[in-house]
Amino acid sequence: MLRESITAILARNETWTGCAASEPFEGGWAIEAVIFVRALKPPVGPQPTARIEISPDGMHWADEGTRLDLPAQEGEVRFARLRRFGNWLRLAADFPDGSESCLLVTVHLKG
Amino acid sequence: MPAGPIDPEAPLTEAALTRALRRALVGADPRLSRFDPLPRIISHDDFARGHCGWSQLVGNYEGSLDTMLPGYAQHTSAMISTLPHWDAGSHGGVDSSYALKIATRPRVGAQNVAIKRLNLRHRGPIRFEMYFTFKPEATELTLGDTAVRAVGLLFDLQGGDRDGDVERVMPHLRFLNAEGGQQRHVWQFKAVREPFRPAGSGETLSHYHLAPEGWQDLPGADQKLCYNEIATKVNWAYLCFDFDLATMRPTGLRCNDRVIDVSGMEPMRMPAMKNLWCMLNFCLFAETDTARRAFLYVDSVCISGDF
Repeated sequence: MLRESITAILARNETWTGCAASEPFEGGWAIEAVIFVRALKPPVGPQPTARIEISPDGMHWADEGTRLDLPAQEGEVRFARLRRFGNWLRLAADFPDGSESCLLVTVHLKG
Repeated sequence: MPAGPIDPEAPLTEAALTRALRRALVGADPRLSRFDPLPRIISHDDFARGHCGWSQLVGNYEGSLDTMLPGYAQHTSAMISTLPHWDAGSHGGVDSSYALKIATRPRVGAQNVAIKRLNLRHRGPIRFEMYFTFKPEATELTLGDTAVRAVGLLFDLQGGDRDGDVERVMPHLRFLNAEGGQQRHVWQFKAVREPFRPAGSGETLSHYHLAPEGWQDLPGADQKLCYNEIATKVNWAYLCFDFDLATMRPTGLRCNDRVIDVSGMEPMRMPAMKNLWCMLNFCLFAETDTARRAFLYVDSVCISGDF
């Protein structure tokens, strides 16, 4: 039996500002995950470091510890690798005033 | 297929033997026995083997994602879920740990759609069966039985390029759970077309056919489902929708113990489109009535045809 593998879109063409996060995603069947982030448009202002968050219920979130510098220019791709994340995953970032970025965030799960 | 009595005096033809064997095999298979499939099983998705071909309904666009209609832009990817609840742990499916989960964003009127894209081989009867349930996100310690506006399904169909009567036909069916904070509990259809809009240069068109306007009650189709008593208890309901690809008309609807008359149900119809020949698409969707996420869970789907 081949392993299951799926690519899911966490955010597509969303302009993130302020305290931003992707929609909660369940991937408890998977052993590993890679989250990719691509800037679809030129980012505006200083770009924050994003964090991976995990959750017991999809409603209350905790910092998982993994960091991901958001793309500094259009087309740039950044990623983070994850294991032992439980079930719920999301990407979160706090943008300083005046900063924003239009992002494509995808997760690639395998298990 | 409705299991009629077997006449012991009837001659044992090859066709009769085939029907009897098929019925016995389906009945003896715990994975299929809960379904009543037509003779050919097109797909059987139990979501214990991944997404089984159910992906996000992405909107059309050209040149830039900014050309995608807002209704589509809100869609997100379906998940494989154990129905994990903060207070009771994983609920699980009918007979596996997993179900497909279609989750909206937490906004009033938010929608999300998952789609399975196939082609048709024969323009005859098809049957769509599923075990499903729905709930709002358990963000409040309240019943939340009016938080989900609707869940439903639609087909997106078009005949072959040499058929003489080709239209694009889109039967839409939803269970309207609540509207404006009031319980409705009725099956509805939508025949009203939404206007096509160009995406970019106009080579690609798009229409958000799930816009909330234009739904009509199916006569006599009010039904109370098992919602249960808190937001984290669910019960699986059975749905069976029959459609004839020859006449492009609905032919039957069952939910749990109810047979619902669909003679008054009209599909959405529009001229055939230049690149959708033999399209056989199935969509499942959820919609909120409040600012709580709506979750449509699907334990399993069996799509079958008579060919």
